[in-house]
Amino acid sequence: MLMDTHAYGSSTFQGKLVVQVDPSREKVVAPIVRYKSADELLKSAAVLVSIDEFEILLSRLSKDLDFAGKVAGILVESRTEVSNGLKGFSPDGKFPQAEFAPYQSNNFTWNPPGSGIMWKAYNFPVFLLSRTSTLILQEVVMKNEKTKKSNTENVAEFNVVMQTTKSGTHDSDSCLKEETCLPLGGYSVWSALPPINISSSQKSKPVIVTMTSMDSASFFRDKSLGADSPISGLITLLAAVDALSYLDGLDELNKQLVFVVLTGESWGYLGTRRFVLEADQHSDSVRGLDFAMIETVMEIGSVGKGLSNGVKTFYSHTSGDTLATNETFQALLRAQDSLKTESIKISMASTSNPGVPPSSLMTFLRKKSQISGVVLEDFDTSFTNKFYHSHLDDLSNVNSSAIVTAASLVARTLYLLANDQNASAINAINVNASLVEELLGCLLNCKPGSSCELMKHYISPSATCPSHYVGVILGEPSSVPYPAYVSDVSRFVWNFLASKTSIFSRNITSACPNDCNGVGELCIREEADGKGICVISTTRYVPAYSTRLKYESGSWTVLPYNSSEEMSAADPVWTESNWDTISLRVYKVQNTAYDGLILLSGIVVTVLTYLLILITRAFIRKALKWD
Amino acid sequence: MTVAAGIGYTLLALGPSLSLFIAVIAKKPFLILTLLSSTLVWLISLIVLSGLWRAFLPFKTGSLWPCTLIILTSVAFQEALRPLFWKIYKLEDILDAFADRVSKPRLFITDKMQIALAGGMGHGVAHAVFFCLSLLTPAFGPGTYYVEKCSQMSFFLVSAVIALAFVTIHTLSMVIAFNGYAEGNKVDQYFVPAVHLIAAMLTLVNLAQGGCIIGIPLLYIMALLTMGHCGKMVWRRLTEIRSRQGSSF
Repeated sequence: MLMDTHAYGSSTFQGKLVVQVDPSREKVVAPIVRYKSADELLKSAAVLVSIDEFEILLSRLSKDLDFAGKVAGILVESRTEVSNGLKGFSPDGKFPQAEFAPYQSNNFTWNPPGSGIMWKAYNFPVFLLSRTSTLILQEVVMKNEKTKKSNTENVAEFNVVMQTTKSGTHDSDSCLKEETCLPLGGYSVWSALPPINISSSQKSKPVIVTMTSMDSASFFRDKSLGADSPISGLITLLAAVDALSYLDGLDELNKQLVFVVLTGESWGYLGTRRFVLEADQHSDSVRGLDFAMIETVMEIGSVGKGLSNGVKTFYSHTSGDTLATNETFQALLRAQDSLKTESIKISMASTSNPGVPPSSLMTFLRKKSQISGVVLEDFDTSFTNKFYHSHLDDLSNVNSSAIVTAASLVARTLYLLANDQNASAINAINVNASLVEELLGCLLNCKPGSSCELMKHYISPSATCPSHYVGVILGEPSSVPYPAYVSDVSRFVWNFLASKTSIFSRNITSACPNDCNGVGELCIREEADGKGICVISTTRYVPAYSTRLKYESGSWTVLPYNSSEEMSAADPVWTESNWDTISLRVYKVQNTAYDGLILLSGIVVTVLTYLLILITRAFIRKALKWD
Repeated sequence: MTVAAGIGYTLLALGPSLSLFIAVIAKKPFLILTLLSSTLVWLISLIVLSGLWRAFLPFKTGSLWPCTLIILTSVAFQEALRPLFWKIYKLEDILDAFADRVSKPRLFITDKMQIALAGGMGHGVAHAVFFCLSLLTPAFGPGTYYVEKCSQMSFFLVSAVIALAFVTIHTLSMVIAFNGYAEGNKVDQYFVPAVHLIAAMLTLVNLAQGGCIIGIPLLYIMALLTMGHCGKMVWRRLTEIRSRQGSSF
């Protein structure tokens, strides 16, 4: 990614093996060696390293420039089943995105294993190997070490060419001008339960916003699963919406429930900042949502690890008006009580924390400090997720029963808050545990991955293996984007929420989108069947991209620092370079002397044969003339 | 291994054929036609064989008994075709008749041997193209490949060297065989199939670990044997003719 201030080619892309950075203009070929901490490299080499030693290698590279100059590329082995020795690995910082916090304590350690390596500049490619590739390369390295003197060696060929490097545009500003890169961003989704009737003359109700995010990041772009942070929160929200959708009398609730799923949060809270900006501008994407009516905000953070010693433990981190947050906490406790069969413990977060943990709420509060908010997390003073923002935050890092419980708590709490603490129908709210299991399989596993039944019911996915990297904004950002420009997860969330919060608009389900243009009407499941279903629902896409970017007549421009917008100084304006193909090949080569020898022997054989034929012919002729 | 190595391997396998072509065959169009038709016949024989063997696929590559059977049947089939090929090329009689009509000299013994040589070379070139050249394309790229059972030489080098041996054997065998059919010489007639069979079976030695170190030299011994026998036969025929010419004066 390129930052506005200085470039560091962290360019990433689609592919099974993922690369972090590369400023090379062409293919790089180097023999493969294993990393041993004492070793000196004699010549340029591709270094094979295990995940345990990866951070050590990178820190050595930043200190030992001579060594660093000889590294052509790094190949990282995948974690083996047996390596439980890895205590934690997090390439993000100790206080991720501290510059967006609404309080000053920038050296509070929310993420103890954080090393910060993903934000540094490297000028060589780094590939994460799959399990089979790891085994193959381990064998290759052993062979390389045995046959040091022969005329062949095994090399790795890195084919990673980034357009920004080739064209010399090393920061976001210049690369956007030259159109050699695109800005990071995507589409957030918000939905109202029940649908908001905009044309109604009724006084609008106070709003309770529940939000979460759907994107993650890691050192390796295509392995950003983010199982605990934040997908466990996303699954919790979707399951809670599902549970609440079966309630009768949603129209009679005293408050309006709104659900927001943001994206781009890992890259400078793009989703939140853009959402707030669009609300301030009263744009089309947030039509129906009046920020002045927001009473409280509940964010669902990481909840997938909230299981310790059989007890499901969650913490409520609060900020803002103590009356409102107290009310939320009371509702949480009452919801906990109503779930009698489970052992659950909900506590307020420790008062020694400087404020809310790194979360979308953090940024929300900087823009709208008068709003009270709560973040539900599975940790108190520091992350329980030891693999925050790493490729190791995968399905094995979360617990489905914790998510089911969190979803039940959230659903029941929202009901209590919306119903002024009246718990009449609370026991009718039950989370579907098999839905949670299915979502875990769809969003965090390659099998079934995006081609699972649930996702195919709503969308036709473009890829099977899930990845929650935010991606780039294609085309012009709008509230009704072209579906091919929106990521699979965004489209799934939009269709899912629209379906769950919907009211059928007519008795006969007519095929849309032709016939579905009434007020508040949406066409859902359009891609799945070819024909969609027309429903009434308030579900909209909100573009998520940096507030310092503007799309004008087909290209992007970076706006100058706006001193009135507090966080614009901290915004790095991330972009991703354009790239063609990315590949890694490993093969055996012969040295050039040997090649020359072969050519020479071929020529010699040909010439010698020719001479032999001439001699034989002369001999025969002479023999025949001997008369 | 780069273009240089690729060209080197190609020249190793087919360079001598190229030399022979330029020195002998290119000058006489009839020989070029013989070469091409013989190549075609050999390829067709391979296609027929592969069609027959298709019914028995798949089996484990490198397993001894199936490979032996394939080699036996293939060699038998091709050797059966050889006399047929000769019968067709009895059109040298037709050529002789034509020569008589236009009052030109008849085919001399060396001409007949050249026709046989072209026929043999057709077989040899087809073998080299089919079994070696078609595998050489990766050799022109950056990498190389070593087979586990023969770790001393690259796969491409082994293919080229074996192909060269077979080109020699096929080219010279045809000369011996045609002469054998013409004279009715049983030794020559049985020599050729025997050498073909033994050479083909010797390639089975490569299936063993490190077998190529033994198999390839043995193969070259067969090639040299063929070369020697052919030379002896040619010398014998030429001296016969000389003495006949001498005695007719």
